[in-house]
Amino acid sequence: MVSKKLTVTNSQGFHMRPAMTFANAMGKYPCEISIKFNGSETNGKSIMNIIAACIKCGAEIEIVCDGEKEQEALNEAVKMIESGFGE
Amino acid sequence: MLKGIGVSKGYGIGRVVIATESDISYVSAENCDPAVERERFNKALEIFFDKNTKLAQKVTETVGEKEGEIITGHIVMMQDPYMRSEIEKSIDEGHCAEAAFEGVCNTFIDMFSSVDDEFTKQRAVDVKDIKTEILGILTGTETVDLSKLKKGTVVVAKELTPSMTACIDKDNVVGIITEIGSKTSHAAILARAMEIPAVLSVANATEELKSDEVVIVNGMTGEIIPNPTNEESALYLQKRLEYISEREALSRFVGLPTCTEDGIKVDLFGNIGTPEDAEKICEYDGEGIGLFRTEFLFMDRDSAPNENEQFEAYKKALLVMKGKQVIIRTLDIGGDKDIPYMGLKKEENPFLGFRAVRYCLKNTDLFCTQLRALIRASHYGNLSVMIPLVTGIEELREVKKLMKKIMQELDKEDIPYDKNIKVGVMIETPAAAIIADILAKEADFFSIGTNDLTGYTLAVDRGNANVAYLYSTFAPSVLRSIKNIIAEAKKAHIPVGMCGEAAADPMMIPLLISFGLDEFSVSATSILATRREISRWTKNKADEIAERIMSLDTEHHIVAELEKLTAN
Repeated sequence: MVSKKLTVTNSQGFHMRPAMTFANAMGKYPCEISIKFNGSETNGKSIMNIIAACIKCGAEIEIVCDGEKEQEALNEAVKMIESGFGE
Repeated sequence: MLKGIGVSKGYGIGRVVIATESDISYVSAENCDPAVERERFNKALEIFFDKNTKLAQKVTETVGEKEGEIITGHIVMMQDPYMRSEIEKSIDEGHCAEAAFEGVCNTFIDMFSSVDDEFTKQRAVDVKDIKTEILGILTGTETVDLSKLKKGTVVVAKELTPSMTACIDKDNVVGIITEIGSKTSHAAILARAMEIPAVLSVANATEELKSDEVVIVNGMTGEIIPNPTNEESALYLQKRLEYISEREALSRFVGLPTCTEDGIKVDLFGNIGTPEDAEKICEYDGEGIGLFRTEFLFMDRDSAPNENEQFEAYKKALLVMKGKQVIIRTLDIGGDKDIPYMGLKKEENPFLGFRAVRYCLKNTDLFCTQLRALIRASHYGNLSVMIPLVTGIEELREVKKLMKKIMQELDKEDIPYDKNIKVGVMIETPAAAIIADILAKEADFFSIGTNDLTGYTLAVDRGNANVAYLYSTFAPSVLRSIKNIIAEAKKAHIPVGMCGEAAADPMMIPLLISFGLDEFSVSATSILATRREISRWTKNKADEIAERIMSLDTEHHIVAELEKLTAN
């Protein structure tokens, strides 16, 4: 299992488009991916759960990947969030 | 007459078609064969994906890319692997496809609705929309088809789902009325993009209005007039034609430079409140941002936004404007704008009290966070900082000192920023207007805020009905003040703009041209009309008018004369 804590910096947070991009990209990995935020854990491959988590700009989150290709998945997730989803 | 919220401008007159919700009820069956139900569900999904992929493409082509994304969003939601597996789990427990699907949808609808956030709440509408559509497919029900309506139809519905709105043929539908919805709902966004007048949130519209009766939709005021008299019909038909031809006339000014008839070029900027508004300014062909109010970033929350959050917001506006000038006003809080967590005390005279730059210079932690975010953002475009409510040169000096310190910190940290970032003063107090010559020596630019300047100059509270009649930017005192501010800026060779609504006033424009205003900053929807107004005048003609107007001694005479002189 690998994980990384980071801050969401793009102004819209996990709005529709970022959530779509994120869930789609994570869907390609066989490992389990979750986003820890505000004391709860969200399935990182599920756009519905990401929307429900309501993750805004400035949120402190932790990405946790567990299973096959976990490091690659984590790297891509971190890259996406840190680049602000190309906003 | 009925009343709702006008969410898409324009006037529509036509015959009512009530889009009733189709009956998608079903008999919930238990102990079903999971294999059969899975197969049924997958088939329904296939039809859903097929239909919506085509719809998304059509909407993208005929309405716009952003609007198409609303439909794409529905597709992506239904591709959610978690949602799929939950539905399959429920089917495997023996539920029929309808019940399994609806159950999972309802869980998400409840989840989204319970979040205290407008964006997330709106997603509940999307899921409801998807639910109705797929249940329709599963139960074999004909869903409402709005793509085949007669010309001159006014669509009336309880709630227009995004997919229903997207089907609407804009050539045939002249108005939209719904019982549920707000300015930010998808139906409103789509109606605006399709330029169909729409009034939402009209109580009992589907019962009050009858199929086939004539109705007037006033997208400006939110008024609905059922069964209008002949006079009313004629009046609104006229208004509709005028509105459409006005819109077309203005669209001819898109892409043109802003200049007077004799070729004097001025800047035409827009006023915004959020970084997202910057897109609207581009849409209306604004040449920059003359006023970015930063208060919104601080409102509707429990604590001040941190540096990064602000940085991202400012950066976003700069990136949208692609190198065009963006003037960002530092926090203008106090007066009538309260933010609970800032701990502002009730004051006897809030407009003469602890507000704007006065508050910021006493709360330097908060202020420096904003300044640092602004300076960092300056790396991503053409950013200028504007200070509100300045009354003396010390305030400008103090802000500059703070900025210099922050720049030194950034240098040490190797964080890039624009070293030539401009710092200007918003001239909105009589004090600043009177010492414009002093301020002009150290400010990089001026921007005249006419709303407060008018109120403070005339010592009038616009909200007080007993004295509101005195409030006018055309008062000789205010006009002289504006003229003086512009003249002092010219003497010092610094640019001077105006970011109050007066900059868009057709009666004010010739005066501003004559005084030599460099930059007009108006709301997005006023940009094209202002460009057209400016193009009507030559410097000579504007000078003639200004000379005549400045010789008059009362506001009353000035307005009467300007009405005559600026009439077409």
